[in-house]
Amino acid sequence: MYELFSDLGSWLTSGEQWAGPDGIAHRLAEHLQYSLIATLVAAVIALPVGLLIGHTGRGAFLAINLSSFGRALPTVGLVVLVFLASGLSMTPVYVALVALAVPAIVTNTYAGMTAVDADVKDAARGQGMRAHQVLFQVELPLALPLIMTGLRLALIQVVATATIAAYVSFGGLGRYVFDGLAQRDLVQVLGGAVLVAVIAVVLDLVLAGLQRALFRHRHHAAH
Amino acid sequence: MNRRTLLGGLFATATVPAVAACSSGITSLEGEGGAGAGGGGSSADGVTIGTANFTENQILGHLYAAVLGAAGIRTTVRPNLGTREILIPALKGGDIDLLPEYQGALLHYLDAKAKETEEGEMQNALAVALPRGLQILPYGRAEDSDAFAVTRETAEKYGLKSLADLARHNGKLVIGAAPEVKKRTVGAVGLKDEYGVEFKEFKSLDSSGPLVKGALKKGDVDVANLFTTDTDILAEGWVVLTDPKNLIPGQHVVPLIADRKADSTVRKALARLGNALTTEDLTELNRQVDKDKKDPEDVANAWAAAHRLTK
Repeated sequence: MYELFSDLGSWLTSGEQWAGPDGIAHRLAEHLQYSLIATLVAAVIALPVGLLIGHTGRGAFLAINLSSFGRALPTVGLVVLVFLASGLSMTPVYVALVALAVPAIVTNTYAGMTAVDADVKDAARGQGMRAHQVLFQVELPLALPLIMTGLRLALIQVVATATIAAYVSFGGLGRYVFDGLAQRDLVQVLGGAVLVAVIAVVLDLVLAGLQRALFRHRHHAAH
Repeated sequence: MNRRTLLGGLFATATVPAVAACSSGITSLEGEGGAGAGGGGSSADGVTIGTANFTENQILGHLYAAVLGAAGIRTTVRPNLGTREILIPALKGGDIDLLPEYQGALLHYLDAKAKETEEGEMQNALAVALPRGLQILPYGRAEDSDAFAVTRETAEKYGLKSLADLARHNGKLVIGAAPEVKKRTVGAVGLKDEYGVEFKEFKSLDSSGPLVKGALKKGDVDVANLFTTDTDILAEGWVVLTDPKNLIPGQHVVPLIADRKADSTVRKALARLGNALTTEDLTELNRQVDKDKKDPEDVANAWAAAHRLTK
């Protein structure tokens, strides 16, 4: 066991392992690229849906259940399915990751919107605000903490799952996991897994910090 | 826990999803058949046959059962037990007695540095490498080896007949194979060393599964690493490149058996089967199970009966 950890330590810290197209630096960049693109695409799809159903209060049951379907789908199965239909490209990976990220964003956005006090919305309308003004100037800012939480959750799930890109020949940190398993190289497998876990945690902390900073700022402005 | 056992266990578990495409059940030793079905005594006490987690191996297991049954030996088939990492220890421990194996793959599992590729040499090397208490019987005619295949269009376009022809197009062709093939002698390494082949790109996909076959069909890869008994090779009219330098080891089907069960009745029955079953037969049986969704046991029994092996 000790030997394993010391091997893992030297794998993670060797300069050779960090360099080149198979190196950790490059794989890390790929992993972040896949994760950010997938989360952004998911946000573009899910935020309007969440805001709309939260604002109108209609279609929530349908939208939330439909989007949760994406979370229930086995990711690898979805990748293979889209792969067989569309061929070898990043498309199957992005489809699967977006399907995974959308539910967290839709449900949290919706939850944030419904948590906005009805009296506050009434007051806004009473002041003569139009529907879109109520949405963007009252509901959205108040729902923002929960919306951010949804984005954070989505990103973390995507980072942890983006390893599947390697399943269909692409890069990212999953490369170490899949290659290591296939080549019976446990140190490589663990190295990949540890790196994925570390960037998931680091990203979560960064976003949590950002969230706190943003809302502290807003509280000051409100006073 | 030492590193080797952890590795074996981890690999075994992790391989299950990778080969799930050709498996159909759970991987457990606690299945039907009951503990103690195998183990003690001679073949008169019955023979427990284990099989790995893919179609062909299960068919072979049921074929073994059919011919042994006809020879008056009571058999139990425990299908879909997993990979070698599970099967070989189960065989050593007496949970199973007999296992359909493949020469080259088994040899590589037992001795990763083995260089033998010719059938007779491999039999000898296997006899040396096997743990005590286990032995292999003579190998059969049927073979399921690695193959490098291209579509007919690619073969015509580049004039490809053998693996050596690939070297004339270095830097142009993309190969698709399972990730381990990148570092294997029977793979990218051997193709470079023996034939001087350099690919434009290596795409890590799966072992003769939906990914690599889908990619070959769609033209996303030019060369694919498949198994010779893959039914899609014939169905799609793919061209298997010949191997004039014998890079790819023979993978004849070979029974791996516990010494105490390997009496003359068992040997004779399995030898008859080995001489009757051809690669084409095995491919056809795979097709019946994978494409026609027939039961491996029915398919095996029907074939054995049709070839007068159960009379």
